[in-house]
Amino acid sequence: MEGKNQISNEQIKALLITTVIGVGILSLPSDVAMILDTGGWVAIVISGLLIIPFIIIINELFKMYPGKSFFQIGEEVINPVVFNLFLGIVLLYIVVSLSYGIRVFAEVIKAYLLETTPTEVIIITMLVAISYIARSQIEVVARMAVMIYPIIIGFIIFLVLVNLPHMDYTNIYPIFNINYKGIPKGIFTTFFSYTGYEILILTFHLSEDRDKSLKYSLRGLFTVMGIYLIIFFITLSQYGIFQLKREIWPSIAIVKEVDLPGYFLENLDGIVMAAWVMVVYGTMGPFLYSSGIVLSNVLKTKIHEVFIPFFLPIIYIIALLPDNLVQVDEIIGPTLNYLALTSIFIIPTIIFISAYIKRRKKA
Amino acid sequence: MGDSISKNLNQNVETLNSIFKDCDDVNYRFIEIGDNNKTEACLVFLDGLIDKHLISEYAIQLLLTNSKGDDSSIISLKSNLLDTLAKESIAVPGVEEAESMDEIVDAILSGETILFVDKASKALILSSRGWPTRGVAEPETETVIRGPRDGFGETLKINMTLVRRRIRDPGLKIKTTKVGRRSKTEVAVMYMEDIVNDKILKEVNKRLDEVDIDSVLDSAMLEHLIEDNYISAFPQMDSTERPDSVAASIYEGRVAILVDNSPFALIVPSTVGTLLQSPEDYYSRWTISTVVRLLRIIGIFLSALAPALYIAITSFHPGLIPTRLTYFLGASRINVPFPAAVEAFLMEITIELLRESGTRIAGPIGSTIGIVGGLIIGQAAVEAGIVSPLMIIIVAITTISGFALPSYELASGLRVWRFILMGLASVLGLYGIMLGIVVLSTHVARLESFGIPFASPYSGLGLQEGDLKDTLVKAPIQKLQLRPVFTFPKNKRRMRKR
Repeated sequence: MEGKNQISNEQIKALLITTVIGVGILSLPSDVAMILDTGGWVAIVISGLLIIPFIIIINELFKMYPGKSFFQIGEEVINPVVFNLFLGIVLLYIVVSLSYGIRVFAEVIKAYLLETTPTEVIIITMLVAISYIARSQIEVVARMAVMIYPIIIGFIIFLVLVNLPHMDYTNIYPIFNINYKGIPKGIFTTFFSYTGYEILILTFHLSEDRDKSLKYSLRGLFTVMGIYLIIFFITLSQYGIFQLKREIWPSIAIVKEVDLPGYFLENLDGIVMAAWVMVVYGTMGPFLYSSGIVLSNVLKTKIHEVFIPFFLPIIYIIALLPDNLVQVDEIIGPTLNYLALTSIFIIPTIIFISAYIKRRKKA
Repeated sequence: MGDSISKNLNQNVETLNSIFKDCDDVNYRFIEIGDNNKTEACLVFLDGLIDKHLISEYAIQLLLTNSKGDDSSIISLKSNLLDTLAKESIAVPGVEEAESMDEIVDAILSGETILFVDKASKALILSSRGWPTRGVAEPETETVIRGPRDGFGETLKINMTLVRRRIRDPGLKIKTTKVGRRSKTEVAVMYMEDIVNDKILKEVNKRLDEVDIDSVLDSAMLEHLIEDNYISAFPQMDSTERPDSVAASIYEGRVAILVDNSPFALIVPSTVGTLLQSPEDYYSRWTISTVVRLLRIIGIFLSALAPALYIAITSFHPGLIPTRLTYFLGASRINVPFPAAVEAFLMEITIELLRESGTRIAGPIGSTIGIVGGLIIGQAAVEAGIVSPLMIIIVAITTISGFALPSYELASGLRVWRFILMGLASVLGLYGIMLGIVVLSTHVARLESFGIPFASPYSGLGLQEGDLKDTLVKAPIQKLQLRPVFTFPKNKRRMRKR
């Protein structure tokens, strides 16, 4: 109401949480357990803490140029050609990330809900649904995030409650058995579970109360970290370290273990899958939205909606390149990691440093 | 059309005659006034639209007797004839001078009486509106067990009075405009000057000004003309028959739009939260109101999802429900010759047909439809083995849930989406339903009502400030000391705790 394109800090926090938590949460526990055994939580905590400086960098960058968007700042501080090159990398990252996410999503849906439906159908229908939110304005994406946020929280509470009676707490010991040599590798794995925080780049300058945005986004980051820790400990205590390593998607599989006699629903995985569709929607919507925004800024237009349909076939093709899930993790996974490293950690840092130097020179 | 009024009475009557050619309901009454009946005058009015008693007793009669004064009054009659008449001889509350023919035509059509006097360059408009009205009756749709029982009628003036009686504050402003080139329907915008947000008010006035249509017959038509998204299945304005609802909304800083000839007032801005409020919530104790509000939210989901879930579970995921229930489901469907999707569509279409016919036909035939629906569709279909008994229960739950929602328009929107979700469920099962839900919620998140996000407070606006206290639940009135924030009221506090 009070001016267009304004979003509240509460919405920024919800947007951060829903964008970060996506397909990664399914395999995260087994991925870290593979490297660090029962000490996997250390990697989750450390990489979460490592994100903080990047959020602060983004915050400071917007503080230097109040009211300006990331793209305006970028054009101002570095060579426009270089900046457009950067945006190209970012675009590639977003597209690959969406392809990876949607392929994993389709495989999970196939495994738990629709055994006979072709992967292609699931991918296409989901892409069409996502393109609807991606064609909206940022405040709509933020509103949607606020509506999805309680579902994520409810999903976690539900997981804790149904698992509580069956958990074997001795499984989580030894907590401090940390393999220090494995920590860097563990961090490299968990670091990418926090991708998606870069949505802040598109929202900070639109905040209603700019001074508190940093506080709220850090709060969101800690919420994500807390959720990851809860999932890690639940799956660990339910399975024990040896079985946990063997599970592909332990976060969903544990629900299958639960059997609540006398309850209305026998297999809870259906409900969990249903909630999970929303969670993935909350991740991919903002991603596809930002792809449109980035391309519209490269091409210097204000409308991002028209570019969304252009991405859909590309995402579809890349998503179907690997033959199976193993290939997905072998081919797309590492590519994605390097792209993410460049586009959401290195590029903002470069822009921040150039902005800082430019500021210094002026002063 | 003659723009100005001629000094010659006969020419004026002639002009009117040509404008109202073949309009037999326009009446002309010629009288002679002044000393020795020297001056001719004419009253023009629309038969049926005026209060005849008022005009004959307090205008015609007095004109005939009072104006026949002595010589001095004749002189004054000549110098300022109309003024004298208005002051001395007409006992009607509202008297105005008219200068142009257009004004006069409008006035006649609205039910006023025009007095032409020979040799006067102006005419008098005597306010004489009075036509048979329904009177203040109990609202048909929003009945409450406890609370006031008066409802709006078709007359704008009476409706405005009903609201005014509840707001004895000079801050309550009522601005009337005319909408419709031909119908010239009167539209009243009501708001509390020191509470309402100026941007919302400005937007309302702007949109009302932009309407260019020949007729507006009901507030629903106006609603469709000024709402933000006319393609959506959902209403973006509250509509109510109850003056107490309107008064409460005005106190919240919202704007009410009353339309002549319509017993439904429009209230803007509105959100998902306000569409689920019923006046009863405020008259019952907060505990039961809270329970009822939560029930309504369950009602939304059941009304939209119940048949879709039935299709998804029976045809795609029988493993989701307990094994014994699966056996029961299988056994009850064993004779049913159709797939679950066909069965569900068949029954939902039948119940919609029943509903439609029941709405159109009231009274004795209406009850026949009830019997036909209950017996033939329900019992006979099950006994014949065309549908499973569970399907009947699903259909019943769906329909009941729809009626439990206070906003009929919202329930109708969900009815449309129910069929979309059923279609998705028949193709993609539970995954299809979830796709439908995410698209539906995105659609709701995209909607705005006069610039206010329609999904508030669930989408963020007012979430932290405590708007949930009066939408998701109903907190005790002592806890609702501030007005809801979604209207951005100028005056935030409505109650002070002692």
